[in-house]
Amino acid sequence: MKSVMVGMALGAMLGTGALAQTQQELTRDGNGGSTDNVLTYGMGYHQQRYSKLDQINKSTVKRLVPIWSTSLANEYGEQGQPFVYDGTMYAANVKRVVAMDVGTGRIKWNFDIEWDPAVPRVVCCGLNNRGVALFDGKVYVAAIDANVYALDAKTGKQLWKSKIAEWKDGYSITGAPSVVNGIVMSGMTGGEFGVRGFIVGLDAQTGKEVWRRHTTPDPTEKAYSTWPQDDSYKRGGASTWITGSYDPELDLSYWGTSNGGPWTWKARPGDNLWVASVIAIRPKTGEIVWHYQWTPAETYDFDGNNENVLGELTLNGTKRKVLMHADRNGLLYVLDRTTGEVLAGNPYVKTNWATGVDLKTGRVVETDVAKRLRAGEQVEVEPRWTGGKNWMPMAFNPGTEKLYFSMLEETAIYQLNKELPEYKPGERYMGVTNTTKDRDTSKPWGYWGAVLPMTGKPAWRTPLMDLPSWSGAMVTAGGLVFTGNTAGDFAALDEASGKILWQFKTPSGVNSQPITYTYKGKQYVTVFSGLGGGTSAKRETAGKVLPAGTVWTFALMD
Amino acid sequence: MKNAELQKCVVGMVLALAMSAHAEDFPPEQIKLGGDTYSRHCAPCHGVRMKNPEGAFDLTKFPKDQESRFRNSVTKGKNSMPPWESLLKPEEIDALWAYVVAGEKQ
Repeated sequence: MKSVMVGMALGAMLGTGALAQTQQELTRDGNGGSTDNVLTYGMGYHQQRYSKLDQINKSTVKRLVPIWSTSLANEYGEQGQPFVYDGTMYAANVKRVVAMDVGTGRIKWNFDIEWDPAVPRVVCCGLNNRGVALFDGKVYVAAIDANVYALDAKTGKQLWKSKIAEWKDGYSITGAPSVVNGIVMSGMTGGEFGVRGFIVGLDAQTGKEVWRRHTTPDPTEKAYSTWPQDDSYKRGGASTWITGSYDPELDLSYWGTSNGGPWTWKARPGDNLWVASVIAIRPKTGEIVWHYQWTPAETYDFDGNNENVLGELTLNGTKRKVLMHADRNGLLYVLDRTTGEVLAGNPYVKTNWATGVDLKTGRVVETDVAKRLRAGEQVEVEPRWTGGKNWMPMAFNPGTEKLYFSMLEETAIYQLNKELPEYKPGERYMGVTNTTKDRDTSKPWGYWGAVLPMTGKPAWRTPLMDLPSWSGAMVTAGGLVFTGNTAGDFAALDEASGKILWQFKTPSGVNSQPITYTYKGKQYVTVFSGLGGGTSAKRETAGKVLPAGTVWTFALMD
Repeated sequence: MKNAELQKCVVGMVLALAMSAHAEDFPPEQIKLGGDTYSRHCAPCHGVRMKNPEGAFDLTKFPKDQESRFRNSVTKGKNSMPPWESLLKPEEIDALWAYVVAGEKQ
């Protein structure tokens, strides 16, 4: 009897163990861990979105076929990344979290995320959710109304809910949380509504707030000297809407920060740290260890949130631990991620407000466009406020040391208003007049491309003439780059040339984040389809792509 | 067409014209308030001065005889648009209608 009970207890422990992601598994995700799992945003804490899997490769990709598809019953758009653990896939959008069987696509449980229908008033750019976090048998998801939930991974039952801000004051969340050493980190958004940015660290077991690191400084902090000596930092923006990457050896998490609030810099003359910056923080305390500002005195809506990809580059014959970041502002940066020293900052798309970064001072070199804009003139700004690249994440191949991503090229007509905007909680706080210059239809919307990190120059670029791409990228050891476009084409490109080797038309736009993993020894690829997630989607597609959220999983035909 | 039918038809047309809003129905200060309210809350999705809406309904094409539809959409929300009744004052919604009808050359 005793041995039976011990056996049962062991079985229960093993059963729990199979559902309980450990910190070690998170650290090894995309970093030598099991290829059956995708546990972290970015396919690894480094966010490289690189897989060593090569069953699907340049020769075999022609046999890639869909094996199942499942509805997510959502018309607001799918920007998310799927997550996989032990044969279960987790998908999130603004309306729900769904757990599915990886082999069949059948739904195991569905958790509806409820929010007040008025919440979209404080969401600038689409009702999005980019994913979940997994740890210790729990699924963490941040809701559009600024609540963070923990769900039981096996049943979908709510374990706790933690309100991190008041949506009526302009706060919302679209990013995936990240868990490091028992702390659930979540950012927030609201840079168009006069919020004060922050990252919170919550206790993974209870949801209790352990720390809150504001991303604009208060008067006791040194960085306050970069602000007017008043309370404008309280409405100063610097929201944190894309998940930070993490280096376990340095124990630093790298988060980008958004545009300043209001958009017009006239309301907040100064460099405005830590607006449009990267901050390296300690996950245990939220302490800022170093920072670098992409766009000092930001006034273009150049959010600096785009992902900070961690990798090694061979510089002067030696490998160096770097952070790579393609900013909305049109410049591609390489930083030493131990110290924050800037090693490169060069344009990767047409950029007219700056020429690059002065490596001696570390500061961006502005052109007269920036100066004339600040002086009150109406100017044409390249890139447009949506950026040379927006949120859609890039992929990094540590073998080729190249980055793969979707680029955008449009021009803004932009002017700071004469009158400063009045701040009212939960209302737009902008103070600029911005429109889009009519497109020259002989020019592309943008590109799919492979880019050299240190120069910003393309190894190849595929012009996108009919529709832009707002899709994340993934690169594999099979020599393939997976990405998509707003028409709904999901494609595999030759990593070396950009040539389209395979594509599949999904029901709606692909503006999400593909993943790859193994199931019973076979390589699978999964991506979400569902146009949405931005204010431009309807204009760009001229109403010819309709929304509908679905999951698509592909494998090689035997 | 019989006389009675013609009469009905004419009455219908007159009614439709009478119910359709026109620029002269609104005082300039109301249109201005509508324009200010519009640029603060609506322009980000419906376009500066209702031009080039990025992803939302083109309000220059909103039927001028469907005021109740307009009010219902603004207060209760429609498709991706959230409800605004808890934020906008009744006179601001009145002014928005004035602006949509008469605020810009169409």
